[in-house]
Amino acid sequence: MFQTVTLTLLEGFLQTLRLFVLTLVFSLPLGLIISFGSMSKISIIKAPVRFVIWVIRGTPLMLQLLVIYYGPGIIFHANVWGSGDGGRFIAALVAFVINYSCYFSEIYRGGIQSIPAGQYEAGQVLGMTKHQIFFKVVLLQVIKRIVPPISNEIITLVKDTSLARVIAVYEIIWEGQSFIKSAGIIWPLFYTGVFYLLFSGLLTILFGHIEKKLSYFR
Amino acid sequence: MAVLEVRNLKKSFDSTEVIHDISFSMDEGETVTIIGSSGSGKTTLLRCLNFLETPDAGVIKVRDDVLFDSSIPESRSEEAIRKKRLHFGLVFQSFNLFPQYTALENITLAPTLLAREDKSIDATLIENRAKELLSDMGLSDRMGNYPHELSGGQQQRVAIARALAMNPDILCFDEPTSALDPELTGEVLRVIRGLAKQHTTMIIVTHEMSFAKDVSDKIIFMDKGIIAEEGSPEEVIDNPKNERTVQFLANYKKVN
Repeated sequence: MFQTVTLTLLEGFLQTLRLFVLTLVFSLPLGLIISFGSMSKISIIKAPVRFVIWVIRGTPLMLQLLVIYYGPGIIFHANVWGSGDGGRFIAALVAFVINYSCYFSEIYRGGIQSIPAGQYEAGQVLGMTKHQIFFKVVLLQVIKRIVPPISNEIITLVKDTSLARVIAVYEIIWEGQSFIKSAGIIWPLFYTGVFYLLFSGLLTILFGHIEKKLSYFR
Repeated sequence: MAVLEVRNLKKSFDSTEVIHDISFSMDEGETVTIIGSSGSGKTTLLRCLNFLETPDAGVIKVRDDVLFDSSIPESRSEEAIRKKRLHFGLVFQSFNLFPQYTALENITLAPTLLAREDKSIDATLIENRAKELLSDMGLSDRMGNYPHELSGGQQQRVAIARALAMNPDILCFDEPTSALDPELTGEVLRVIRGLAKQHTTMIIVTHEMSFAKDVSDKIIFMDKGIIAEEGSPEEVIDNPKNERTVQFLANYKKVN
């Protein structure tokens, strides 16, 4: 039994992991682009970007998942997600990427705006280009400042992936819960918790390591 | 020949005119000190010279080379300004060292980047020159330290070395000791005095009146965005003619 459960949960965890990794791959860079939009001096760019961030951060991810999955079909009669498991996974991924990009963009914005103007000015009077100032002077300071909030957000993402089950993406908790119906046992659910704990523990160690690496300057 | 000539410089922020028609010139090797109360436009003037602010009107010439002329739009473009600002160096009140680089790297960073685009600069000499400057500043044993490991006075001396490494024609100081406690102020003023002795061309904004008096060739007293009085230290500090200068110096003496 233990072996059957382990194998089933591993299968679910693989789905969880795929959603986690792909969400990060797309939302970390997309968040940076959104943050530039939200800091833009041009108000026709800034205003809509800030509006979208407000909507996405102000509504539950669960709601966004449902709207993104069912919305196109019901409103536009268009089957944009394709059929079957693959289609549902893509819909979930899109919802996660949009949601997390907005959160990351606010962290980036906070980090970039916390760098004192004097750092830019020192670079300018030394004849550096804007590009050089950003990459050689500002960027590493921003990274150092955003590692703690980003790692917090990433660990939240590990657990948020379980919301994908609302549109029937067979992630690990879905698989764990199936044993309640099929075998009348609850311990597989606790077992899923172990997966989460181990994985977030691993991430905590990783981010602790990065923070330590960047502690050589203030 | 004048190394720097500023004519009819004006600068407003929104509707507040901070610099109201300033003209002055200085010679090679001179030390000019700018004094005056807060809000008189001293810092804004330095920031205009370093193109951190774009003047609304006026002309800035270095060795007869027009760096800025408000009537010539091309002289206001960003790329034009980037090269020309290297005629000036600026030492900030708050040092503004780059925290992730060591003292030595703070000095070599900009020259190294410049050497990449300007092949006439010998990149192999940059590090030695930086080490030389640090030892002039009395910081040979601090080359590998990060800014947060240095005292304020040491950080400011690194900042001075960093500015000197770009070989500016005119080195500007914006209240270089205002963020330092009295004990550390001395070591920074000593370094600036040393530079004055070597006839480094400098413009210094400061509230250190006795320092201004014995280091300057010329003192400029600014009030409400204009030069209210200028002359030798003896003229301006010991025998001020302008009523505002008299008032300012009297208030200053009262506090000290």
